[in-house]
Amino acid sequence: MLVDAIRAEGFRLSKNKTGLFWSLAFVPIISVAIGALTSFVLKGSETKILGDEKMPEELKAALGRGTLDMADALVSAAGNLANPLVLLFVLIGAATLYAGDYRWETWRLISARNSRVNLLLAKLAVVAGLALAAMGFMLMAGVIENLIKAAVFERSLTFALTGEKALQFAGFASLSWLRILQFTMMGMLAAVVTRSLLAALFVPLVFGIAQFFTPQMLLPMGVLPDAWLSILVNPGAATDAIQAAIAGGVRAAALPDGLLPKAWISVGLWTLLPLAGALAWFRKQDLSKE
Amino acid sequence: MTAVIETRGLTKTYGTVRALDGLDLSIPRGGVYGVLGPNGAGKSTLFRILLGLIRPTDGTANIMNGPVGDIAHMRLTGSMIETPRYPPYMTARQVLRWLALEHGIAGTADIPLWLDRVGLSEAADRKVRGFSVGMMQRLGVAAALISKPELIILDEPTSGMDPPGIQEMRALIRSLAHDDGLTVILASHQLLEVQRVCDRVAILNKGRLVREGAVSELTAVGERLRLTLSPIGDAMIVLGDKGSVDGDVVLADIKRHEAPDLFRALIEKGVDVTEARWVGTDLEAIFFTETGAVQAPETIHAG
Repeated sequence: MLVDAIRAEGFRLSKNKTGLFWSLAFVPIISVAIGALTSFVLKGSETKILGDEKMPEELKAALGRGTLDMADALVSAAGNLANPLVLLFVLIGAATLYAGDYRWETWRLISARNSRVNLLLAKLAVVAGLALAAMGFMLMAGVIENLIKAAVFERSLTFALTGEKALQFAGFASLSWLRILQFTMMGMLAAVVTRSLLAALFVPLVFGIAQFFTPQMLLPMGVLPDAWLSILVNPGAATDAIQAAIAGGVRAAALPDGLLPKAWISVGLWTLLPLAGALAWFRKQDLSKE
Repeated sequence: MTAVIETRGLTKTYGTVRALDGLDLSIPRGGVYGVLGPNGAGKSTLFRILLGLIRPTDGTANIMNGPVGDIAHMRLTGSMIETPRYPPYMTARQVLRWLALEHGIAGTADIPLWLDRVGLSEAADRKVRGFSVGMMQRLGVAAALISKPELIILDEPTSGMDPPGIQEMRALIRSLAHDDGLTVILASHQLLEVQRVCDRVAILNKGRLVREGAVSELTAVGERLRLTLSPIGDAMIVLGDKGSVDGDVVLADIKRHEAPDLFRALIEKGVDVTEARWVGTDLEAIFFTETGAVQAPETIHAG
């Protein structure tokens, strides 16, 4: 049963302390450390310049030193959770999960215990949980970073994640999660086809970099950013469009007509096609040459 | 006799190489069944097909009365193919827990029992990355048994083990078959070991079945009585053309039921018999004959 495979895969991941550290803890720790260090260095420079004098209120306003809105910070962070750094380290964990059974020749231990489809879907489910946990840790790191900033610069805090902001937060976080999963599913397909851990890690990364350059390559060819081709080959742009729609306001208003359905189709295809490809390939794969 | 494994015309080709060539094999339920053959005979390919790791090019294979690849039937089978490997960050206990979960077994009560049975109790909480090949093999057997299968397939289960380990594994295999009622199928290059452990064997060569039968029946062919006695001359008169001298001993080419008459005749003739034992054509000799492999000088062992 699928649930058995998920429990087993989850158990295995829970014992991989190194993998968990790199996938979940490393980026948030570094992020908090750099954030705190930046705050302390800035405060130190400020004290050096101002001495015993108090900062004028006008300057405080100009530097954005008013009340710190944690809800705004969280919403903004949720929209940026699929950033390259988080992605890279989640992909390390995902690659270990997808390609680990080839690397350690352990397919032969488990393939007679559950169906191949269940085994692969279980990996996807555990990676989805891993990505969610990584996002949670990053948000926590953001909160800690802001608390340190508020303490260092003696700023007051507000936190009201309700109504529209809560919806935006949920929308941004879900979209970031989907974006991370898209990349990990490409990693899954690469792992199954090549049986290589490095391919599971680098194929999605190379694909991500390629996406970055796609608009610059298509525009000289006369393909506009809102054309079908642009959106279909660039799920990153599609995700941005959906994010803009969730953000509302000026960003949403600037979206070209008819872009949003194309964006959803692109995101859907880039999510489902690698998964379908990996499942189809894995079902007929010769597992004697792990 | 119910078959736990049935293959009909099973063929597997890798490019131009025919690893299995129309193999027809029926392995009965119960006991220990040995699959022998030189390297490249098709043993591992057969096991991999049976375990759903690869698909046959042609023919059919059933395992536990269901087609290979059908997970409901596969789950009645435990296996260890070649020297198993495990995620190196796990302990032996965790490996078994992981595989039990994969099988839908949530409880952990049996894990210490299986670790104890394969002699890994003391190493239960050590990371497998430090395990020797022999320890990996033991853990592999425990892993194959954790789901309480009806059939267990072991590929070279004693490879990398020290002599006491081999003896323990041999005892475990026999106990699994005869005390726990499992059907054990094993492949091994240790022909003497197979002869001691297996009830029946199949010899494969170039992907085909060349010989199959009960070990006792196969080795009974060409069986002779090895006698240490004196004087040899008088004994040879009694034996006539059924006797031959091999150094200090006499080999009597007779059937078992003829032995009492022979002993009476030897005693009447005044021959002192100090030792008598049956020697047969052992599996090694049969193996070399059937596979055409180059045989080592010593081919006859005590039966």
